[in-house]
Amino acid sequence: MNAKSLTTPGFSSDFSALWAVVRREWTIFIRYPSWIIALFIWPVIFPMGYILTARALSGVDGSGLTTFQNTTGLTEYVGYIAVGTMIWMWQNIVLWAVGYSLRNEQMRGTLESNWLSPTWRFAYLLGSSIPQLVSMFMLMLVSGLEYAFLFKVNFSGSLWLTLLVILTAIPSVYGLGFAFASVVITAKEANAFVFLVRGIVMIFCGITYPLAILPDWMQAVSKWLPQTYIIHAVRTAALSTEGFSGVAFDLKMLALFGIFWLAVGYALFNMMERRARQTGAIGQY
Amino acid sequence: MSEFAIEATQLVKKFPARPGTGNKQESAPAPKRRQWPFGKREPKAMFTAVNGVDLYIERGEIFGLLGPNGAGKSTTIRMLCTLLEPTSGTARVHGFDIVRQANEVRRSLGTLLAGERSIYWKLTGRENLEYFAALYHIPSAVAKQRVEELIERMELKDRANELVEKYSTGMRQRVAIAKALLARPPILLLDEPTLGLDPQAARRLRELIAELKQEGHTILLTTHYMEEADQLSDRIGIIDTGKVIALGTPEGLKRRIEQKEVIRLEVMGWHDEISDKIKNISGIENLMSRQQGEADLWEVNMQARNSRAALPRIVEHISGNGTRLVNMNIVKPSLEDVFIHLTGKALRD
Repeated sequence: MNAKSLTTPGFSSDFSALWAVVRREWTIFIRYPSWIIALFIWPVIFPMGYILTARALSGVDGSGLTTFQNTTGLTEYVGYIAVGTMIWMWQNIVLWAVGYSLRNEQMRGTLESNWLSPTWRFAYLLGSSIPQLVSMFMLMLVSGLEYAFLFKVNFSGSLWLTLLVILTAIPSVYGLGFAFASVVITAKEANAFVFLVRGIVMIFCGITYPLAILPDWMQAVSKWLPQTYIIHAVRTAALSTEGFSGVAFDLKMLALFGIFWLAVGYALFNMMERRARQTGAIGQY
Repeated sequence: MSEFAIEATQLVKKFPARPGTGNKQESAPAPKRRQWPFGKREPKAMFTAVNGVDLYIERGEIFGLLGPNGAGKSTTIRMLCTLLEPTSGTARVHGFDIVRQANEVRRSLGTLLAGERSIYWKLTGRENLEYFAALYHIPSAVAKQRVEELIERMELKDRANELVEKYSTGMRQRVAIAKALLARPPILLLDEPTLGLDPQAARRLRELIAELKQEGHTILLTTHYMEEADQLSDRIGIIDTGKVIALGTPEGLKRRIEQKEVIRLEVMGWHDEISDKIKNISGIENLMSRQQGEADLWEVNMQARNSRAALPRIVEHISGNGTRLVNMNIVKPSLEDVFIHLTGKALRD
């Protein structure tokens, strides 16, 4: 054959491939317009039940809030609940969107055609996560504005510190998503795992209540979950004036969890990829 | 560089057999429970999809891998394009080992698998090709030009900016083929490329495959359409139950049963009693019958060493049993007849 192959391997080619995955994922995402509804409606609807429950339990005169203030150091209970539910929603969305990204490709039939190319395979998972992260930032921004204007939440903390906490939390949140994506490819179905993780985060991480009310053994479990530190740190950064010292320990823990979960996610991905080459799982519906 | 574009030696692929799937379990019976708590687990029953395939495909040839569904064609292709690791055996594609040099193999291949499902329906034809061009590490300036060339060649120019979900099956298949050609790979693997296409689209695709051969590509083509394999291939490997059972040029394979003729009948009211009587006629082999549509019209094929001697007895059996002979032909053997001769069953069974 006379014509020369057009393939030119190298770092910049790998980066271009990663960027192509990001663009592909973003393009497909915005072609399903229902995300706009989710962007505005869910931040309001999801915490509403908890907020109204808290309002009811705090008493007509709000006397129950004193206990809340003594336990948490905060007066802003609506913001407290909103932050907790937002972090829970973030982890939940990552488990579904990132956790099922490869499985969705598999069901569509496009996973094999991606796998046939010489591109680094982890790039598909990484590339699928980036648009998802962008949409999460949009969700958080819209949520913040809705809480501030609709629920009159007083975000007395620091926006930049809050942003720093979220950025530090990204590796652990997405590392768990990568681990899920790898398991789902071979298990084909992981709804039960997603519900389990969501349930654990909901109960043990204090999304709508302070950890102090939990029994000792549950508080011990919560220390092993990165979401506990994310929720605590975002509340401190966004709702209080404690500043960096209030979140320093949480940031350290999140950095460690991030390294751990990214490593686990990457290791599981490689194991899945090797196993799939032996079993033919990539092409199976 | 080796004279062969693809060399496969004793390729074997086994999968764990799943109960109730109809896969033949060739090893021990179903696994027993492990003896609690440390007892040895019985080995899993395995299903052999590819059972020692040897392939040596020369540069610039079209090699057809012909066989019925479940013969092992797609599994063989998937091993060669690095989606599957062989259980044993070795293969080299464009000189690169499929296990140890998988990335180099992928750079050398353009592969068509699962046709229209291998592209994104929520992207346009152009967006699909630009995306895959990046995955194949084609520099963006070159990719833009290459994508336009292929859009033009595949006659997609008018619809290139529409979402693939609005395309016909034939158009989607053309996008999938364009995807396989993006990086100008020396070797193409085409798995059932005309499956699901209407006759006109299938014909155009076969013409394109012939053009690609003229341009110097080596093509490994799998199909269960014997006319397609016959028309396109320089050489054919007939595969059944995971083994290549015959290998040669189309004419060479047909010459294997040249001494036999194929008698083709169309009969109304065919039934087993007539079939049994005709099978007992000396020189008659491999009788196959297939009902045509809903009417009681049957196509009956058989191979005969001496059709002149056999025909009167055949007509006698048909006439005397309440059936009616509608049509009769004596034809040259086709590849399907070769397959029937080798395996005792039809390609479409």
